[in-house]
Amino acid sequence: MDIFSLISPLFVALIVSGTFVGIIFGAIPGMTATMAVAVCLPLTYSLGLENGLALLLGLYVGGISGGTVPAVLLGIPGTPSSIATCFDAYPMAQRGEGEKALRISIIASLVGGLFSLIALYFFAPALADFAIRFSYVEKFLIIFFALTVMAALSSNMLLGIFSGFLGIFISLIGVYDVTDGGNGHYRLIPPGTEYWLDSGFSLLPVLIALFGLAAILEEAEKGMPRAKTASEIKVGAQSRFSFSVLKGQGRNLFQSSAIGTFIGILPGVGGSAASILSYTAAKTTSKHPEEYGKGSAEGIIATEAGNNALTGGALVPLLSLGIPGDSTTALLIGAFALQGVQVGPLFIGNNPETWNAMIVAMIIANVAMFIMMYFAIRWFAMVVTVPKYILYPVILMMCVIGAYTINYGIMFDVWTLLIFGIFGWLAIKIRLEIAPFIIGFILGPSAEIYFVKSLESFGDLTIFFTKSWIAVVLWVLIVASVVGSILMARRSKAMAEKI
Amino acid sequence: MKLTRRMIVVAIGAMAIAAQPLAAAAQNLPNNIRMVIGSTSTGGDTYQNASIVAEALSEQLGVNIKVDPVGTSEGLKALARDTRGNTIMLHHDQIYLSHLYGVPGNDDPFENFIIGPTVAINPGDSFLVPADSPYQTMEDILDAAEAGTQVRVAIQPGGVSEIGFTAMKNAARVRSPGSEANIVAVNTGSQADKNQAMWDGLADVINGSIQANEQFTQLGADDPKAMRFVWITARPQTLEQAPEAGMGDTTREEFLQYASPATSVTLDGTDDFAFDKEFFLLYNEEMDPAIMDAIDTALEKIYAEGEIQQRQSEAFFIPNFQPRDEALEHLSDKRDTVAGIIEQLKVE
Repeated sequence: MDIFSLISPLFVALIVSGTFVGIIFGAIPGMTATMAVAVCLPLTYSLGLENGLALLLGLYVGGISGGTVPAVLLGIPGTPSSIATCFDAYPMAQRGEGEKALRISIIASLVGGLFSLIALYFFAPALADFAIRFSYVEKFLIIFFALTVMAALSSNMLLGIFSGFLGIFISLIGVYDVTDGGNGHYRLIPPGTEYWLDSGFSLLPVLIALFGLAAILEEAEKGMPRAKTASEIKVGAQSRFSFSVLKGQGRNLFQSSAIGTFIGILPGVGGSAASILSYTAAKTTSKHPEEYGKGSAEGIIATEAGNNALTGGALVPLLSLGIPGDSTTALLIGAFALQGVQVGPLFIGNNPETWNAMIVAMIIANVAMFIMMYFAIRWFAMVVTVPKYILYPVILMMCVIGAYTINYGIMFDVWTLLIFGIFGWLAIKIRLEIAPFIIGFILGPSAEIYFVKSLESFGDLTIFFTKSWIAVVLWVLIVASVVGSILMARRSKAMAEKI
Repeated sequence: MKLTRRMIVVAIGAMAIAAQPLAAAAQNLPNNIRMVIGSTSTGGDTYQNASIVAEALSEQLGVNIKVDPVGTSEGLKALARDTRGNTIMLHHDQIYLSHLYGVPGNDDPFENFIIGPTVAINPGDSFLVPADSPYQTMEDILDAAEAGTQVRVAIQPGGVSEIGFTAMKNAARVRSPGSEANIVAVNTGSQADKNQAMWDGLADVINGSIQANEQFTQLGADDPKAMRFVWITARPQTLEQAPEAGMGDTTREEFLQYASPATSVTLDGTDDFAFDKEFFLLYNEEMDPAIMDAIDTALEKIYAEGEIQQRQSEAFFIPNFQPRDEALEHLSDKRDTVAGIIEQLKVE
């Protein structure tokens, strides 16, 4: 089949416009790739399958990539998968290198996206066969490995770990849902609040509150700082991004893209885990782990390559098993279903045209994303030159809209935003660590489900060590990460004492 | 024929009178209606059905209808809050089954809401075993339970998935009292989790759907992912209305082999248990009855025109319009039947 016959003007226009709209959705805190795809899903009725998928895949790639923009410039993760981007990209932007941070992010995103596409195109069925070897036990250990970053991210390890566990604890508020195989009973809910808290606190409002609202409250208390000028943030010819920053990052790019792709193929683990895990692995294997969290280019590369590599990875189980890899690809099943197409292990063989169209659409979407974001960076970066008294109310309004719309209009999500905004502001005062807290909050529910299901399914705790060679490898990584964090904390302490 | 002014006036008058019921109803209708569904997924059968119905209704009534996949709990909350008729809900039998199974937070929808018309059946609810399973049929599974072998069945508790499992236990009890203890549930979550439970060797049988699992039944027997159908819970009359080509590579005739009477899961020793997963609308108790009537009337017209049936059939759904009075009676009877089985097994 002539693959180029697919590339009609309408097909390309739909991908490009989808990518553009996706970037905008991703860039607004609280709006996600999932939401972008959900909003446009009904349009695919009239577009036909291939053109409909072109639009949705553009939205998917754009939405994931667009989350980078507020993470870099405002320190607010536009989507959960951009959470780890905030750790290094925002400090870099605060140093006045916002443009550099954005360009690093975009290049890493492109590499991650294309890497995962190659994996998808050549190895989808084989990867799906490998993915089914990951049962609850292995998935729990992966989440556990990602959780070890809590210690590594903390300036005070003990406080960091405490904050992380507090995050896990708060994430468990609500019903252990029967749709997750739970018992449907309420837990950790104060009497009388069942109506609001049965689904617990939603992730995105909490995320936006802790990274956005809390920072705004903090700055409001101190007094509004003067906005930076264009020359101060080095937007302009004098701070041209140099590709030399990527020198020596081949291993990091490859490792993070591979991790992102791999996490993508594991149904249910999700984009936030992919970026956190890529970040953890990069830090564990880095020659300069002490620079992480302070504006390290390595950290940005790891998280952005990881979260964009998820896009191709998440399509592997969708197209090879009929099982979505993440919440956005779950929406794509809707697009197939609305056209009466069955997705499953025979899909690729039975639908070569649709399969090729998807790959072509993803390549074009990645390239379109790169071109749009790379060349529009200067304009994006200018956002930090907007005076804070104008910028903050706008951010606040976007945060509220994002929180309200994320679950299709639940007012309690706006209250969540307010509650956790105030909590975040107080947490800074009592020196709780926000990053480990939020990582605990994101990963807690998955950790619980996989842990409980492992015990229910296999009987006792020894299964975590004896289930498979994959489990043993994961334990080695977990131990390496924990030991690495302890050694690093000691070295920092010793250096501080010398000074 | 020559058109006179009088004829034109009469014709316009007649058209105005004919259009009056719908126009009157339309006056009561909100311009924007939110159709919440009891699923958070847009990839499942609930969203698919809701989309088809919303699109047809929207065209017929001339109002905007948007489908929001908010999940059962949030859907019911949204419906309970809105007495104006801006929110309606579409879901399936799970909404009352959860209540019967005692899932916390699931009140009786028959008491707290108004049951609206049914719109479609998904005949796809099924049970599968690995391709190399020793169990060829449901008979083998029930025999194994009778012989004292534990049969593990992966289900998502509290809904349509569990009712088939309950029926299996009930059949084991009817055939050989006490053997039902050997049919045990493995509580999982999504379809992905149920499939994984099979591939991990944690479940001997899994609940699935024709739409999601049919392709796995077409894999070579040496493929570790390969599965076989052993039971489809739909009534044979329902499956007979499915497209003849079936779904994927499995024909309707082949599907019928897995449903009653070819595959028997007894209800009481005489009749077989069969269960159709039916989709229906739910309304707020205080919603203006004129709005409900308008929706009922519009659906009646849509189904009389016949286009919606084609769309539903293409997606392997069985069109099944019943106005709300009939739907209430039918679903109440169905609820009572399954409540009896669930209750009997609870006592033991």
